[in-house]
Amino acid sequence: MTTSRTGLNPPPAGIPASTSRRMRSIRLALLGVGVLLLAWGAFVMFDSVRLTRIPGVALWIAAAIVLHDAILAPIVFAFGIALRRAGRRVTGTVIAIVQGAIVVGSIVSLIAVPTLVAKNFAPANPTVLPLNYGLNLAIFWLLLALVTVGLSVWAFLRWRSSVEAFPDDSGR
Amino acid sequence: MYEAQRALASPVRNPRMATVIGRLLGAAFLICFGTGLYSHFLQEPLDWMRFPTRPEFLYQVTQGTHIIAGIACFPLLLAKLYIVFPKLFAYPPVRGLVHFLERASIALFVGASLVQITMGLLNTFQWYPWPFPFRQVHFALGWALIGLLVIHIGVKLPAITRYWSKGSLDSDHPEDAVSVDRASDAEAVRLWGSSRTGGVTGRVLDYIDATPRTLTDSVSRRGFLTTVGVATTAVVGLTAGQTFTPLNAVNLFGPRKKGVGQQGVPVNRTSEQAKVADAALAAGWTLTVAVAGTERSFTRSELLALPQTEVQLPIACVEGWSQMAHWRGVRLSDLADLLSADPDTSFRLISLEERGSFSKTQMGREYVRDPLTLVALELNGETLDLEHGYPARMIAPGRPGVLQTKWLSRIEAI
Repeated sequence: MTTSRTGLNPPPAGIPASTSRRMRSIRLALLGVGVLLLAWGAFVMFDSVRLTRIPGVALWIAAAIVLHDAILAPIVFAFGIALRRAGRRVTGTVIAIVQGAIVVGSIVSLIAVPTLVAKNFAPANPTVLPLNYGLNLAIFWLLLALVTVGLSVWAFLRWRSSVEAFPDDSGR
Repeated sequence: MYEAQRALASPVRNPRMATVIGRLLGAAFLICFGTGLYSHFLQEPLDWMRFPTRPEFLYQVTQGTHIIAGIACFPLLLAKLYIVFPKLFAYPPVRGLVHFLERASIALFVGASLVQITMGLLNTFQWYPWPFPFRQVHFALGWALIGLLVIHIGVKLPAITRYWSKGSLDSDHPEDAVSVDRASDAEAVRLWGSSRTGGVTGRVLDYIDATPRTLTDSVSRRGFLTTVGVATTAVVGLTAGQTFTPLNAVNLFGPRKKGVGQQGVPVNRTSEQAKVADAALAAGWTLTVAVAGTERSFTRSELLALPQTEVQLPIACVEGWSQMAHWRGVRLSDLADLLSADPDTSFRLISLEERGSFSKTQMGREYVRDPLTLVALELNGETLDLEHGYPARMIAPGRPGVLQTKWLSRIEAI
């Protein structure tokens, strides 16, 4: 790879120079406006937040990157491999359904689990977090599992009948 | 070729998918920013600012949308990061100053985005586990994130325009997928970059890619988009009932529930937190109205003896919940007229609460003169509960709950 894809690339061959000049000026304008907005955000931060609190903000931003890149993403990778390994005997659609269901369940849990945790801290008043979030999450997972099983069985049966009809084409 | 194969090894990790998810996420960020600014300036208006008072549920809609779009960012942001994840291991890691700045801006963009949506979510149930003030940091990060978004669009503009429309990735055609997807979209590699990786991570990626692929590329891509769609629908649909009545029945995870609270209305700040119970329940309470050197104090029964007006207005909180309610009390404009206030006068509302950032707030003349703006004495057919601001509170159309001053003590012309 000799082409730089970092900043303002030269246009690929075949694109008229006027288009690329326009592209270049639009990009420069965007970069300029973006840097100004970012600088304004930094000014607002330093202007309104006590200096001693700002390292805390930086720490949280760094921790968020580590949490995602070093913990969450590898777990997703591991799940992906496990599913691929486990999924040698069924059709790809079933794997896609199961994979999708796990992701949906995990993201809903990501939103719901903090409410469970926060509820233990005794919320400021009884109208904050009034629901039984643990029970609701269990109901949600149960329904999700039922739907997933139903869809998977449907996809599997469809795949098997197509395999029986056309043995040479596994439908994968 | 090796790099091209690696870059496109996963059928969903391609620039077209990054564009598709990226523009949804970008739209959600812009919606959050716009509605957030509106809410900010309602609370801290510049002198010249005037706001619409109709529709009276305007703030319910803008702030409800703010929280809904913020929650939708969780699946969208995670999907976007999933798509671009291999680029984290770009090799060599840094190829000069411009490349370093680009990568640094993306790191800041990712980290700040994750912090922003997380602190927004936790704020909706008043949980503050971080060592900095919520409002100021959320506001400053909002500006910074929009700046980073504009920078990101500027950097990626050639790829965004190239992959904006459907079918722009050659491998979108399933019949070509196997050959093209893994090998020959050199343009994609040029704009998108390779992701040749080294070290342990590279070996792990190799191992994953060597694992037999059982999904066809089109199943994989459709599955991915469906999953993102279902996840977004689920997190939004199962929480938005706290403000959007048709979804009330499936409000499984919203931090508030419609109708739950004293007199059927949720409470944000309690009388205990505000330390107002003694003053609010004192027999000698009066509401003082001051206009240009003239002051008049009203007891609660004197207020009740004035003409009463009934209105249907929602309480809509910055935390994203809202509750329609029936209010009864004295029109603020009637009180202003009793003291012959000029129609152009704005007012300062002062609560019995002595501390707290909203114990003294300002109300622009557009709200003062609105026929729906009341000094409310009753809520849903009963005497106002202490938690809802007894003996008297403000209720006005289209304003955030924190400005609907409870436990009123004094109203003065500015």
